[in-house]
Amino acid sequence: MNCRGKPELRERLAAEYALGTLRGRARERFKRWMRDDPELMTAVRSWEARLAPMAQAVEPAAPPARVWQRIEQQLEPKKKSSFWKALGLMTAGAAVAMVAVAVLLPLQRGEVPASYLAVLSDPKTNRPVLVATAARAEGVLRVNVLDPAIHVSGRSLELWALPQGGKPRSLGVVSDQERSALKLVAAADKALGDVPALAISLEPAGGSPTGQPTGPVLYTGPCVKYW
Amino acid sequence: MAPPAQALEQLLGRAALGERGAFQELYRATAPKLFGVALRILRREDWAEEVLQECYVSVWRHAAEYRPGLAAPMTWMTSIVRNRCLDWLRRPNPEPLDDETLQEIESGNPGPLALLEQGRDSAALARCLRGLDAKQRQAIALAFFDGLSHAELAQHLREPLGTVKTWVRRGLAKLRSCLELPG
Repeated sequence: MNCRGKPELRERLAAEYALGTLRGRARERFKRWMRDDPELMTAVRSWEARLAPMAQAVEPAAPPARVWQRIEQQLEPKKKSSFWKALGLMTAGAAVAMVAVAVLLPLQRGEVPASYLAVLSDPKTNRPVLVATAARAEGVLRVNVLDPAIHVSGRSLELWALPQGGKPRSLGVVSDQERSALKLVAAADKALGDVPALAISLEPAGGSPTGQPTGPVLYTGPCVKYW
Repeated sequence: MAPPAQALEQLLGRAALGERGAFQELYRATAPKLFGVALRILRREDWAEEVLQECYVSVWRHAAEYRPGLAAPMTWMTSIVRNRCLDWLRRPNPEPLDDETLQEIESGNPGPLALLEQGRDSAALARCLRGLDAKQRQAIALAFFDGLSHAELAQHLREPLGTVKTWVRRGLAKLRSCLELPG
């Protein structure tokens, strides 16, 4: 028994889950449905976003200092490898290989290595699907599609820079080639300097008609300057 | 006023890469609001401390899973805290409502709702909540702020369970269509 094919029931349960009135066994059952039903999850996220401003109206209360002390004791250090974990749980081998491609190979050839590196991954599986790199003084973003299955026939995948404190900026449509390059509006230091993350949204063929993402955001990942 | 979403996104991103300093800054910027949320639902300081602690450890562990495109950081973290509180209330012996909350219910006082009007992001929600019947608004506010279940709402509002469920259901449906209208 589940709620597929009953749009009104789904909407009502998603709203009551977000509000908090869905309780006990009904809440647990709903959580199980949500796990294998991304659309239901999306309906819940929409309701959480609608109701969240209410939380802003709650009187803040400073927690005692011991709360942070206890939290701090439980923070496992994220060692070097967790940089890669954060980027999408790559194996150590893949991570080393990627640094080699991005940094060491160009160095050997006497070229300037890439300075900006973004690894976009699938939030559901945590697997990396696309790597983008740029040399700091160049106006070119090199795109390497790791998983060709990300392409959707008849639609385009559009790559976005998510600047700090601003709206997404389109970097262009991802080519169906394994390796391709996108023109940046300026040298990478300028075009990506304020960009902590990149994202890919699903758009009509040819890209977003509005200049802002119109379809679902499918993949995201941090954009790191390491050079 | 809430810290800007972009600043929190940045702190979450740095925490995902293992930067404790960024995580502590995130805690300082968000903990008072989230502690307030937990305290109001759980009505006991020791429980709220416990839940807050669990939630932040969880945020640290899962920071890399946060997706800016899917939810604002404060929405994401508020949902983590509220859901944890509601799970907590499933445990035996939830704390009874205190006198203050009971008085608020009896007086029909909208409580924190009045504060909503002041927030830029919350003004649309405040407008739409104002458009609900008083009973619908009160039921939704008590459920959200105080974590009351349908049965608790019925008990405290002294109305049949079916009536209260209808208020909540209709109130939410009306809220949704109101929020979809342009301001």
